[in-house]
Amino acid sequence: MPDGTIVGGWSYVIAAYAITAVGLAAYFWSLRRRLKQIHNED
Amino acid sequence: MNVIRQALVLVGKDMLLEWRGRSRFISVLLFGVVTLLLFSFAVGPDSVALRAAAAGFLVLALLLSSTLSLSESFRLEQEERALEGLVLLPVDPVALFYGKAIGNTLFLLLLAPIFTPVALVLYSVELGAMKILTLVGLWALAAAGLSAPGTLYAAMTSRLRSQDVLLPLLLFPLVVPVLMGSVKAMALVLGGDPLEQLRSWTVLLGGFAVIYWSLCGLLFPYAIEEGG
Amino acid sequence: MTRRIFGVRTLGLLGLGLLLVGSYFGLFVAPAERYMGQVQRIMYVHVPCAWIAMVCYTAAFVFAVIGLWNGKPRWDARTTGAIEVGAVLNALLLVQGSIWARATWGVWWDWDVRLTTSLVMLLLFAGVLALRSFVDDSDRRATWTAVATIVAFVDVPLVYFCVRWWRSLHQTQSTPETVSPAMVLPLRLNAIAILLIAIWLIAQRAKLERERLRKEQVDEPARVTAGLEVTDA
Repeated sequence: MPDGTIVGGWSYVIAAYAITAVGLAAYFWSLRRRLKQIHNED
Repeated sequence: MNVIRQALVLVGKDMLLEWRGRSRFISVLLFGVVTLLLFSFAVGPDSVALRAAAAGFLVLALLLSSTLSLSESFRLEQEERALEGLVLLPVDPVALFYGKAIGNTLFLLLLAPIFTPVALVLYSVELGAMKILTLVGLWALAAAGLSAPGTLYAAMTSRLRSQDVLLPLLLFPLVVPVLMGSVKAMALVLGGDPLEQLRSWTVLLGGFAVIYWSLCGLLFPYAIEEGG
Repeated sequence: MTRRIFGVRTLGLLGLGLLLVGSYFGLFVAPAERYMGQVQRIMYVHVPCAWIAMVCYTAAFVFAVIGLWNGKPRWDARTTGAIEVGAVLNALLLVQGSIWARATWGVWWDWDVRLTTSLVMLLLFAGVLALRSFVDDSDRRATWTAVATIVAFVDVPLVYFCVRWWRSLHQTQSTPETVSPAMVLPLRLNAIAILLIAIWLIAQRAKLERERLRKEQVDEPARVTAGLEVTDA
């Protein structure tokens, strides 16, 4: 391994992917909820 | 030609109103001076640190005062429904925009003779006459850059309930280039310019002003037209 | 109508599937980078988010110009959808970038050109959404959204160059420009995946906006008439 390589760091990778997944899911869920709300008010 | 004359008439009208209600200008002026003072309290009585940040504080004072003066510039029109009157008159909306934008630029320009000396004294910076002139020139470019998008946004937000929050919210991120450009350029004037970077920052400020003076003039008629 | 929504949903599901495959390649198949090691795997989700956020904002700009020109409400709905989805991706991008900065430079924030520009960009477009939420009249809302979108979008390149000059004395990006084929595949897969998901979400958001408009027009003809009377007085 060359000098200066960052060792480990899987926790950062997992955090980044998890936050992305949660963020997209949360936005999708909020869209769903808003759409449903409009339909219920009719 | 007609548009230019109309715009100048509108500038004249606004300046006359401004002169009659001088307290507005004086309030904005005092507000700016108070912010300049607050910045020095926030940094502490360290004259080296203050001198290093002088340009930034000066431009921030301009930026903060500009939101006050910009939203005020349409409040008067809004209260008496005068804007609608102006739109109904055979005044070109483009002339209306440039009239307002020139008026706002002049207003901000007039703050310079007070803000600059106050800042120079408070932050203990000493400058020759030539450098002070350069500083005022940069101030004028920054004022022009702030005024074009500021006038467009103020025309919109002045009709809304939450105008005081919305105008800075829209304007501050937009004028990041103006802020960075004028702070860097002024810092170079105050602290010396060994790499001759002043020119590029001046070009950037000028470019921003040219782009937004044309774009906002183009979009303004849409923004004030009566929908539906 | 149902068929078209079904079409967009298929696109979204396809995107989700691709995202899983691409992330699998990125996480487990692609080799660790020479200097950044495992941390570099953040790139496979970070860079696609950045690309697609930019695509969303560009689409919003184009929709805004079309909407301003022909005044049809559906373009306003699309503009709003594109801005909102762009802002979501932009926010995710900032969080990923912050994690990246922490892992490689040891700080949560670095005034890197792209990171700083993304932050300003998010604030710019969040401002447009805020402006929009305060306007009651639907025509005016559409026009103002379009105007503000155009003004904000034009600012993006200016901010980018400005930040680049602003920190010109510092180091340039350490993002690797030479990437091996094993790294290109997950990058491309995820970019296409997020693009498909973004199209799906924009379509959903635009639908929501159209439904809202329809409801407004059904609910409040009385308010509109009252407003006209006040204007005439």
